[in-house]
Amino acid sequence: MSVDSGIKWRNPLFVWGGKRDVEELATIPFRSHQEVWERTRRSTTKLNPVGRLRYYYKWPSHGGAMWNRLRYWPTRRRVLRLRGEYNPKTLRAEKTIVDKRPIWWMLGLLALAIAPLYTPGDLQNTLLTAGATFGIYAAISLCWMLIMGTAGVFSLATYAVVGTAAFVTALLAVKFALPWWLLPPIGAVVGLVFGGIIALPATRLDGFYYALLTLGLNELCRVYFVTSKEFGSANGGLYGATTYIPEDWSQLGQLLLAYYACFGLMLLALVLYRFVNGRRLGRILRMAPEKREAFAEATGVNFRQARVWVFLISSAALGFIGGFYTSNFGGVAFSIFNFDTVLLGLAMLVIGGVGRAEGAVVGTLIVVFFDQVLNTWGPARFMIIGLIMLLVVLYLRNGLFGIKAQFRAWRDKKKSERRSTRAEKGGEMLPEEATETEDKSVIYQRRHDKMTRDHLKTLVSPEIIEEHRHSLNGQHSEALERLLIYFRTRPQVEKYAIMAVERFEGYRIVALSGHRGVAPRVVEDRIYSTPDEACHGVFMRRVQDLLES
Amino acid sequence: MDIWFIVSNTILLACIYGTLAIGISITWSSLGLLNLAYGFIFAFAGYGAWLFAQHVSTSGPAVLAAGILAGALGGVIICAVGFIPIHDKPNFTIRGLIATLAINLIGTQFLLWWFGPRSKSLPEIFGNWSLSLPGMVFTADKVGNVVTSVLILAIVLRWMQSSRRGLEIRAMMMNPHAASIVGIGVRRTSFYVMGITGGLAGLAAVLLSQTYYISPFGGLMPMIKGVSIALCGGLGSVRGAVIAAIVLGLNEALTGISIGGRYVLITQFVVIIVILLVRPRGIAGLLDKAREA
Repeated sequence: MSVDSGIKWRNPLFVWGGKRDVEELATIPFRSHQEVWERTRRSTTKLNPVGRLRYYYKWPSHGGAMWNRLRYWPTRRRVLRLRGEYNPKTLRAEKTIVDKRPIWWMLGLLALAIAPLYTPGDLQNTLLTAGATFGIYAAISLCWMLIMGTAGVFSLATYAVVGTAAFVTALLAVKFALPWWLLPPIGAVVGLVFGGIIALPATRLDGFYYALLTLGLNELCRVYFVTSKEFGSANGGLYGATTYIPEDWSQLGQLLLAYYACFGLMLLALVLYRFVNGRRLGRILRMAPEKREAFAEATGVNFRQARVWVFLISSAALGFIGGFYTSNFGGVAFSIFNFDTVLLGLAMLVIGGVGRAEGAVVGTLIVVFFDQVLNTWGPARFMIIGLIMLLVVLYLRNGLFGIKAQFRAWRDKKKSERRSTRAEKGGEMLPEEATETEDKSVIYQRRHDKMTRDHLKTLVSPEIIEEHRHSLNGQHSEALERLLIYFRTRPQVEKYAIMAVERFEGYRIVALSGHRGVAPRVVEDRIYSTPDEACHGVFMRRVQDLLES
Repeated sequence: MDIWFIVSNTILLACIYGTLAIGISITWSSLGLLNLAYGFIFAFAGYGAWLFAQHVSTSGPAVLAAGILAGALGGVIICAVGFIPIHDKPNFTIRGLIATLAINLIGTQFLLWWFGPRSKSLPEIFGNWSLSLPGMVFTADKVGNVVTSVLILAIVLRWMQSSRRGLEIRAMMMNPHAASIVGIGVRRTSFYVMGITGGLAGLAAVLLSQTYYISPFGGLMPMIKGVSIALCGGLGSVRGAVIAAIVLGLNEALTGISIGGRYVLITQFVVIIVILLVRPRGIAGLLDKAREA
């Protein structure tokens, strides 16, 4: 081996005149083990700002106020879910708002309440009308959400119930000159009867089978009402019922009254949603989600009865809304039975996300905006709504309000994928292996061993090998000394031994088994003529093993 | 009001709606997709046939073929947009149903925007003759409708019985999971299925346009009828769909002449509810033997 790197190692023991000592030997420059340590410790993983832990703002608190909660009198229910805790580092008393949704609800409702004050003058008419429509449709959507989300019945008959109640109340109002405040209760009775009839098959059919059954219900009602004599088939609807809007008010006053009345209707629907979904019936039905009905039934949960109850309650509420519809618009048009109305209503639920009140309201807001405010666009606006609905269904698991959960699930998946690709093997434990190990110190032992070997690999060079061949014993250069110390401290299994085939004539290398009673095995055929040559042969094998590990 | 009128109308309606219902049924049982975009496919095929008759040829068989091809194209479009992206995602059944409804909304509004609200009529495909026998009259469109739909349905069913692709589709209908294990590609098969069922819808569209006109929303009623028949006969069963088509066609003809056409949907709804209360999976579908979504 030709060796010339220019750096020399001076043997300090040379002056003592040892037998095979030389004064100077070529060696390699010093390499610090610190480099390997730092390289191992350094993380090359790109950290995106999204990969953080969930962040909660910590509000200041007081030890004496730690357990103070604002509650709805006279119940024990809390207005806001707070968590009081002491910061483990600073021991400061802190409050964390765990669930911020009530705050968003309050802000949103407040914005809707004061919205009429800030409408631009030239759009006021359009926007206030659209706002009133939004209130009614949001109430319908909320009731539909109870049927679809809470009860899990995929019904498409909602607008049939609303329309029927509206037509019946309009007819009664026109015939008997009923006052406007009587129309919603009558509508509720009509809705209850209608709902009772169509709830009958809901006890036997599940989920989407029910959707197929009720698909034609709207068309049925439309054909029936359009062709019947009593319901005014000539003028596209039935008008002339009394409304709660006084005739002698200014136009702006009428619009504002309608807006706030419809807003109030939406609030009523929200209260109903809260009281059905958040209490006993909702609990029972959450116990029996899709495909786990059998389990719920086996544990004694009568979910069918709960389903029918929710269906009936929502149907009555839908009828109430139908009656209100009549008293708001002074009548009702046949267009409420159009199939497109059903599809738009479904779009309201789907865009927001099924099973959430906020989904129903925000979805309704989006759809009503396109439908009412941009009503000069013609069929294009329906195409836009359909497109939004299609994209939401194709890409989102549960509408806009499901994005958060879906994103977190996706991020967790990506995280675990990256973690498994990041773990390089080399004696170190993989994350899965590490969690299984009882003795955690083994993990760090192995990691230290790997770093040591990584450092030693950089030391192996022709100069070192040449030095070892030249002087097996005695003083060595720093690099070679490190290698030899490492080799000596290894366990028995990794070690070799020299076997004398014939004394002073032939030696060969064998590998120790490491087990008592198991003979060493021969590793190569080569016969060395002197023990020193064999010793160097063992060194070479160890170096090879090191480089291969 | 004679018995012959009832029988002939029953057969006619059963044939046309049965064609649609068998398409819906096959789609559901092989793909697990409840395709509620048939209204759009129906109108799409009708307009395709109309464009063909306007610009290329008015010969009957050619227009019929154009309608079937346009329907198949519509089916393939729905497969590519509404089935392929989500067929392996969670909650597929409901999402697929909503996706097809959304496509229906977009498609019909597009047709309205493109062709305008005025309805179109197709040329007479089967000519204008009639054959009188004692006590009964065969008109060209009735005979033609019945013969064509039965013929094409027979061809399709025969093809499903005897061909390689038909075998794949039937395997998917029996057990989609096992079919995918033995190497039947879900995506490829879905294109065949949707093409064929779309073609059947196109056939129904052209046949029905002999009686009604073509309009953007004209596909709604046939779709409702088809879905009702498929539901009533048991989703996934061809024989059940045929029986249900005859039952509901009879109901429609009887209601039409006894208490008036406006009650057809109501009596039909009552009939379906009664059938489903007795057998929740339809006439042929055995309880709990239906496809698990």
